[in-house]
Amino acid sequence: MNAAIIGQMAVSGALMGLVYALIAYGFQLTYATSKSINFGQGELVMVSAFFSLTLTNLGLPYYLMVPGGLLFGALLGLVVERAGVRLALEQKSEGWILLSIIIGLFFFSAAENIWGRDDRPFPTPISADPIHVLGVDVTRQELAVAVGVLGIMGLVELFKRRTLLGKAFEAVSADRDAAELMGISATRTVMLSYALSGAVAAVAGILVSPITTVGPTMASALILKAFSVAVVAGLDSGFGVVLIGMFLGALESLSSYYLGSGWREAPGLLLLILALAVRPTGVFGKATIRKV
Amino acid sequence: MLAANLSLQPIASKEDIMFKPIVYGSLLFTALGLVAGDTVKIALTGPFSGGSAPMGTSARDGSKLAVAEINAAGGIQVGAKKMKIEIIERDDEAKNERGALIAQELAAMSDLSGVIGTVNTGVALAGDKHLQEKGITKIICPAAGSASMTQWANKPDKPGVKDNSIFRFAAYDGIQAAMVVEEATNRKFTKVAVVFDSTNYGVSGRDDMLDQIKKQGNKLEVVAQEKFNIGDKDMTAQLLRAKSAGAQAILIWAIGPELAAVSNGAAKIGMKAPLIGGWTLSMSNYIDNAGKNGNGTLMPQTFIEEAITPKAKAFIDGYHQAFKVGRIPSAVAAAQGYDSLYILAAAIKQAGTTDTHKVKEALEDLKEPVKGVIATWNHPYTKWDPADVTTHEAFRREQVVMGMVKDGHVVFGNEADRARLKALANTATPAKLKTKKK
Repeated sequence: MNAAIIGQMAVSGALMGLVYALIAYGFQLTYATSKSINFGQGELVMVSAFFSLTLTNLGLPYYLMVPGGLLFGALLGLVVERAGVRLALEQKSEGWILLSIIIGLFFFSAAENIWGRDDRPFPTPISADPIHVLGVDVTRQELAVAVGVLGIMGLVELFKRRTLLGKAFEAVSADRDAAELMGISATRTVMLSYALSGAVAAVAGILVSPITTVGPTMASALILKAFSVAVVAGLDSGFGVVLIGMFLGALESLSSYYLGSGWREAPGLLLLILALAVRPTGVFGKATIRKV
Repeated sequence: MLAANLSLQPIASKEDIMFKPIVYGSLLFTALGLVAGDTVKIALTGPFSGGSAPMGTSARDGSKLAVAEINAAGGIQVGAKKMKIEIIERDDEAKNERGALIAQELAAMSDLSGVIGTVNTGVALAGDKHLQEKGITKIICPAAGSASMTQWANKPDKPGVKDNSIFRFAAYDGIQAAMVVEEATNRKFTKVAVVFDSTNYGVSGRDDMLDQIKKQGNKLEVVAQEKFNIGDKDMTAQLLRAKSAGAQAILIWAIGPELAAVSNGAAKIGMKAPLIGGWTLSMSNYIDNAGKNGNGTLMPQTFIEEAITPKAKAFIDGYHQAFKVGRIPSAVAAAQGYDSLYILAAAIKQAGTTDTHKVKEALEDLKEPVKGVIATWNHPYTKWDPADVTTHEAFRREQVVMGMVKDGHVVFGNEADRARLKALANTATPAKLKTKKK
């Protein structure tokens, strides 16, 4: 059929897919250092978005609101680490799964009580007017999502590669025990990874809110997609999540165009099952031998 | 004293001064439940949270405003004594199962005079049977889906109920769909897309619209039928299909947040087709979330938040002051909540008892006109006839106008309507009303 329509659907889908990728990246950050995942990541996205909205409503300009929201996200990440993950990890239990879900539920209730259950618009200086690029209509907000997602991921990767703290992060990811023997505090590194993961969640919230509006349930759909992306791509490839995220996003919108909107999620889920069956470590994941 | 409120004098400024303390005072009274014992119990239900909340809270607050006025004037004259109104509030969260539970609870109350509420057609379908079984009088307000009344009417395979205690005070979808199709035809559109959400409300709205297109002589060609779910944010696929099929207008049935997603999506792909659809397009969560992309959207309205009559001005100012807002979240729902409470109060007064069964009978044969903010309601309901749902429908085509979104507000879509309503208010004969004073 019409190439323009295919292009339009693929591009809009891929841009949304970048948001899935960014949330999935948040999973990767904590998984790298602690082999744990915050199952309440979606709530961090949502609460940070609400907090940023409040900052905006207080009259803070956009360029001050963004760092404020980021800082808040990082703090929330630390809260999750301290309250839900650290104890469980010390005891070598899998309790962090349940605990992170519970903390997420707590954030959800708190958000409902503080900000209410309604979806609210999120003001942004970035215009929502469409611009025409190569036969495809995109809005500046969507482009901002792309720039923001790739920007923050690039920054975090640079940090990991170029700074001493980042090297410590990599060391703990590679081998926790060896890193501790070298004098790196694994606990602090895990804290750092949760803070980074929270900040990344906040960025996702700030970027996606102008498009989807802010509400307590805003992340529930996003988070499932992000999980799919993280699992299909593998839990240790930042590059992989970007590719798979864009692919999944494009696939979703193409299938909702050609198969009908009711089938939107189906191909993505099939892909997830296929990936789990054929490559359980993910398409871009490293096959590791688990030593017992 | 009820009559004093019903025949508000057209001296708006004086009322403004009087209004504030009265409303505040009596809202407080109601809240504290100071009026125990000899009270008329009226339940207000609806979604006070979630995506339908603007309608639910506005309807409730409109009713509360009427209650505050009535109580401030001493209450309803029931037989020999004056009784104040006590409100029982229930939040159904727009969830069918919550609605059913609440209806069961209300049906079990022995001293309830009536129920006003319900925004979501699905909730009405799930809950109203419990009330109808016990014969408890309910005025559905402002749910507009056709199914909530037709469920009691004759169907090809099964006769309707003989006696019905469910009434409606809203421009039902039949009227609205007719107006939507009419408007599209009047604006010289020939190809339209029919878009709807997958709820009971959306699907029955689609059926009504398709039905009307056929009834009005197939002047519109439906080039696309598109569906989406509650919570969907990305409508690009549906809109692109509609656009590539050549739709000039989008006839739509859904609620606020998703409607906004449609408007924003259409703007994104450069689709100029206006939205014409159910009255939900006037919800604040549509208008706010769509921003300037909502301009030009058309929807049937029973009330426009514009002080074209002294009565309307008093109501709008009263609402703004009592609930501290600059704009009523859903002016239609608020005005309907207000008028329906006055109608129920008039029925209780006429019945001379708080017994809900007697109130039902009075409601079916209201002797005195009730002056509301939307219109003067002259015998709004008649004895239930399972072959004709309009016996329990208050609204007719002439009480409904076309509204249009303009810069964050709903204004008259056609200037002729404003002139017509104004004329209607001026020619309404207050002589008959004035005799109501006791």
